[in-house]
Amino acid sequence: MVGSQSSLREANRARVVDAVKRHGGLTQVELTGATGLSPATVSTIVKELVAAELVEVRNTIRSGRRAQLVTLAHRVGLVAGVLVGARQLTVAVADVSHEVLAEQVLPLPAEHRADTSLDRAALLVVDLLERVGSELDEVLGIGLGLPAPVDAASGQVTVRGILRGWDGVPVAQVLSKRLARPVFVDNDANLGALAESTVGAAREVHDALYVRAGHGVGAGIVLAGRVHRGVAGTAGEIGHVQVDPAGNICSCGSRGCLDTVVGDRALLEPLRSSHGNLTLSDVVRLTNEDDPGCREIVADAGTVVGGVVAGLATSLNPELVVVGGVLAATGEVFLGPMREALRRRTLLQQVTPLEVVPAALGTRAELEGALALALQHTDLLEQPDTGPNGPGDVAVGQVRTGKGNR
Amino acid sequence: MRGRTPLLALRQVSRYFGAVEALVDVDLEVHAHEVVALVGDNGAGKSTLAKVVAGVLSPSSGQVEVDGEPVTISSPSVANQLGVASVFQDLAVCENLDVTANVFLGQELRGRAGLLRDGEMETETRALLEHLTIRIPSVRTPLRHLSAGQRQAVVIARTLIGQPRIVVLDEPTAALSVAQTAEVLTHIQRLRELGLGVILISHNLNDVRAVSDRIEVLRHGRNNGSFPASATHEEILAAITGAA
Repeated sequence: MVGSQSSLREANRARVVDAVKRHGGLTQVELTGATGLSPATVSTIVKELVAAELVEVRNTIRSGRRAQLVTLAHRVGLVAGVLVGARQLTVAVADVSHEVLAEQVLPLPAEHRADTSLDRAALLVVDLLERVGSELDEVLGIGLGLPAPVDAASGQVTVRGILRGWDGVPVAQVLSKRLARPVFVDNDANLGALAESTVGAAREVHDALYVRAGHGVGAGIVLAGRVHRGVAGTAGEIGHVQVDPAGNICSCGSRGCLDTVVGDRALLEPLRSSHGNLTLSDVVRLTNEDDPGCREIVADAGTVVGGVVAGLATSLNPELVVVGGVLAATGEVFLGPMREALRRRTLLQQVTPLEVVPAALGTRAELEGALALALQHTDLLEQPDTGPNGPGDVAVGQVRTGKGNR
Repeated sequence: MRGRTPLLALRQVSRYFGAVEALVDVDLEVHAHEVVALVGDNGAGKSTLAKVVAGVLSPSSGQVEVDGEPVTISSPSVANQLGVASVFQDLAVCENLDVTANVFLGQELRGRAGLLRDGEMETETRALLEHLTIRIPSVRTPLRHLSAGQRQAVVIARTLIGQPRIVVLDEPTAALSVAQTAEVLTHIQRLRELGLGVILISHNLNDVRAVSDRIEVLRHGRNNGSFPASATHEEILAAITGAA
């Protein structure tokens, strides 16, 4: 019985930690309700967890009464990650050990605008901080991802038309002025690549490609362990590689881009007459439920994306292709045809055949990347001389001091 | 996939209050697995339409169909039986009762002797909150201790009791903070994923365009355009104000 009692104790501790993680911060009274444990047990466990430095307790006010707010222990400081997607905004707050303390998703309208979305992002950051009982000045930096090529220094979208409503907006400057914290901006696929190459599937790999297949397709290129951005931040924008010379005009202004063939609109249109009004996540869900029509659409997209990735891989000779984005959540339905398209290219099969794997961080890769970006820069700010990232970091300093324009 | 017969259809529905034309020959269809937004200026007839669907008001003329069959929604309980659940602007919650009691308000589970099956209701409430990914620490918290967003979530959870097929939400994001709005919009997406038809009434075009499949504009009690979710802010605004 002694054994089962200690395992019960373990289970109860896990329940308390889970509840704190799920809610960001809870008072001891709320913990009692959330876990179903007695107040005495909660109190004992919280004391143990505080001693083990897993959680922290701070004073707060609930319903006009003083209460003890229990949150996960924050190490040193916090970072915030903001991921702007085609149809949703995700904001997360994490500590410097990369532990996500609170997170919130906000659905966004199609072709959302920078002013409204950045305003909401700023309010969400503040709200999440409040949820974990912290202040804005504990935040060391904010990493922000955009679904378009960006200039890392100003955070401005470099190609007009791709992210309508965000053209000409100095994103880093707008948000850092609003929150008075340093803001670092990058393309979402680059952030996915950063996360996968630091803590994900490409951890031990020097040269890798990260392919993000969602509302649009993009890639992040990791060369010698570093994300390659290019002069205008458009490196890896495979969504704008031409695949159909007689195709439709793309949002970027060119004809027959990959995005016009496998972007969300292109994927959803052929399903309209048979399946009605679907969203991309409906297609992913139905594919995973074995709906033949949706599987067909996703598999064909895999083949086309694979063909373009083959071209990129032939030029760069990476060791690994990591696939993320919502379409990767269909697993082999998307990855299989993509792998097949790559296998046909002889050069990719030499010495070590090119491997295609799903993102280890799944659809969270980009958000984790935004947090990693902020963390990377805050490390640099603490030790300015030893930064491994070279000249790019000068520009970061500019953003920090509010001189975002180049 | 989607059945050709809409879950709910209003055909040429009118409702007059004396000389006031609240609804004039309005058509509306809602399919399963679809969020239909109803937008319009103050007094455009949005809430009147919601009340017709909820059985609070009966139409002066016109026809309401559920699953293609003509029906008369003469009272809220008839609406319930037909699978229509509604949430109105004034949430109608009991501040002094806890989450479970509010979720089951008026639809309490009773045992043989008429006693409340409290444990069962609590378990079911927990499952419901989990299902909708609603974050409320305890189902035994009185509603007065919850935030506005959490209350809205409780009311949305309440609509799922009795397994409805159509949920009507009247201004669910009014007076909520951004984080609370985010939660409620996520719940609406979840209702859609569960295969329900949702009628979403709101003033906020941003919220509406974020989660709707289709946007129906009412103006002076009449249909004034139907838009896909991809329609621009300006197009919809023009239809609302009558500029187009």
